[in-house]
Amino acid sequence: MVVNQIPFREFHLLLLNQGLRVAIGPFNVCIHTAYKPLAEQLYKLYCHYRMAQDEIAEFHVRIVTERSFKNPFKKNVRFLLDGQSPFGSFPQEQALAVLEWGINLAIAVRVNHLLLLHSAVVEKNGHAILFPAWPGSGKTTLCTVLSNRGFRLFSDEFGLMDPRQRLFLPIPRLMPLKNESIAVIRRYLPEIVMGQSIPNTQKGTVAHVCPPEQSILLSKQAAKARWIIFPKWIAGSQSKIEAISDSEAFMLLASNAFNYEALGATGFLAVADLIHSCDCYKLVYSDFDDVMDMLHKLMNET
Amino acid sequence: MKLDLSQHSLMLVQGLINPDSLTHYSESDWELLIRLARRVKLLGRLTLLVKEHGLWNQVPPRIASQLTSGLVQVEKLQQLNRWELNRILWALDEFNTSIIALKGIAYGLAEIPYATGRLSVDLDLLVPKADLADIESLLTVKGWRHRTLSAYDERYYRVWSHEIPPLVHVERETEVDIHHTLAPLTSRLKIDTRLLFEAAIPTKDKTIKLLSPVDMVIHCAVNLFQNNEIANDLRDLLDLHDLLVFFSVQDADFWLRLTDRANQLRLAQIMFYGLHFSQLIFKTPVPGKICNRLRPRPGKLKLWIMHRLIPLALFPQHPDKPTLSASMARFVLYLRSHLIRMPLYILLPHLIYKTMRMIRLKSGNNHSHPR
Repeated sequence: MVVNQIPFREFHLLLLNQGLRVAIGPFNVCIHTAYKPLAEQLYKLYCHYRMAQDEIAEFHVRIVTERSFKNPFKKNVRFLLDGQSPFGSFPQEQALAVLEWGINLAIAVRVNHLLLLHSAVVEKNGHAILFPAWPGSGKTTLCTVLSNRGFRLFSDEFGLMDPRQRLFLPIPRLMPLKNESIAVIRRYLPEIVMGQSIPNTQKGTVAHVCPPEQSILLSKQAAKARWIIFPKWIAGSQSKIEAISDSEAFMLLASNAFNYEALGATGFLAVADLIHSCDCYKLVYSDFDDVMDMLHKLMNET
Repeated sequence: MKLDLSQHSLMLVQGLINPDSLTHYSESDWELLIRLARRVKLLGRLTLLVKEHGLWNQVPPRIASQLTSGLVQVEKLQQLNRWELNRILWALDEFNTSIIALKGIAYGLAEIPYATGRLSVDLDLLVPKADLADIESLLTVKGWRHRTLSAYDERYYRVWSHEIPPLVHVERETEVDIHHTLAPLTSRLKIDTRLLFEAAIPTKDKTIKLLSPVDMVIHCAVNLFQNNEIANDLRDLLDLHDLLVFFSVQDADFWLRLTDRANQLRLAQIMFYGLHFSQLIFKTPVPGKICNRLRPRPGKLKLWIMHRLIPLALFPQHPDKPTLSASMARFVLYLRSHLIRMPLYILLPHLIYKTMRMIRLKSGNNHSHPR
């Protein structure tokens, strides 16, 4: 059963009562909220997700509304993970952004049975391509473009690797475009489903893009990585891709992971093996068509 | 006295004291169990129990991965704690003092069963008060820093507390809590720390010592019933249970030594609560008449009240259905923990300060940066 197979009324009641359980990659998330505008946004953006009402959920999250302390006429929202509040309250318009951040945080702090790299991941012809990068390097924007141009989306944020089988697991989540990227994507991909723009968040204006339906449907199909490309978006730059050494790639990847250190030797061996089996590059770009040409060239060479 | 536990608390305690019963748990039982165990820092412990009892293959896969994740986190934190201790000993190498490891790190060094599954975030050490200033300045020279504290908090630690403000090395994140006695200076308990150092036991690494077994047990009880607010502290009561089981098997006279020592340190009442609730909740095999050796013991009314409150606070609330009675119990014990820690003329301004700060924190929208 997929979210868009049930009427909104039923969807809303689940959020209100026993909780809506959706499968997001390898995890099930149980969501509660009584805040109707959020229910409406979720109904639209989560439409392709598989429901998992009878399964175990790893994460139990809730968005509650409360009166603002400063201005009693205003309402705020708060994110709760198992009843605990990991960060403060936010204006109610930001409910969706807060929920999505909260779920990311929950994954980042709790999951240690998988290696969590900080990386966007897409797949083509059975090979995963990693785009590890710091926040602000444009990985979400790049991912949005690629996943709507023939690549399958794994994640714009988490490189989720099974450290024993060396497989990457898809975890297609809403992609939060920030600031200028929103207009860029609206222009480049006018056909895609995008949530409303949410201004004044901690990361500026955010608008969420729904992952393509195919990416969600196939989210149980894992893949081995073949390329690791460290992207950097620089306005007006000439697109350029250059190979980097394994050791440099290793340091960049390991120092930008969520739980590499926690996994100890397991993490080290997994990353070493990953680097060994991939070709590693640095990419500077400003034009998406250039990037796609380069990627297709890389793929045709092998 | 009988124990009256809610459904979800029973489920948690059953899993802990009789892991074989876990084979009867449904998927939704498991889901709730994991949430409860995580809340009271017992996910790592649960993982050890499941493995030890050969139940790993019977656990639903989504549960197994959460158990694994919990244990990986525990192991990482323990490694960080051991490394921090190593660095502290290195920094104090030339300084002749006596350092006693406390709590989690001590249980690991003493090889207490299940210590490998204990979630220990901070490194706790006890040093002689006379050496405290020297130790603090040596560590500061070698890179440890205090977190930025308000003037009020600074004073709280310096004047009233049994520890100095936490230290963190600039290159690392593990918090080091350096204690000079076991209970706040403002509390009515006056513990003769000299006796603890005299009885302390050296470890393989000569520079670090452990409290003697009876002192370790007593400190565990003091920490739970005197220093903490008891809310969600089930892990600490389980520590006490583990210590009691382990030491009583090793030494035939353990129970006599324990009660004598508690009387000598004038911590009998707290030890009484420790034995009482450990036996009540975890079925610790405490010999029948042993509690009668403790003097003084809590009166009937006091014990009746604690009996109503303690389990409600120790066990986690149901994450989806918190009850008012449990919240009330926690609030009463919160007040109690402060009342026994400090006299009213300090306590009232302290609680007012804490409340004001909480309101200020809540009204300032937020300072955290979620990813």
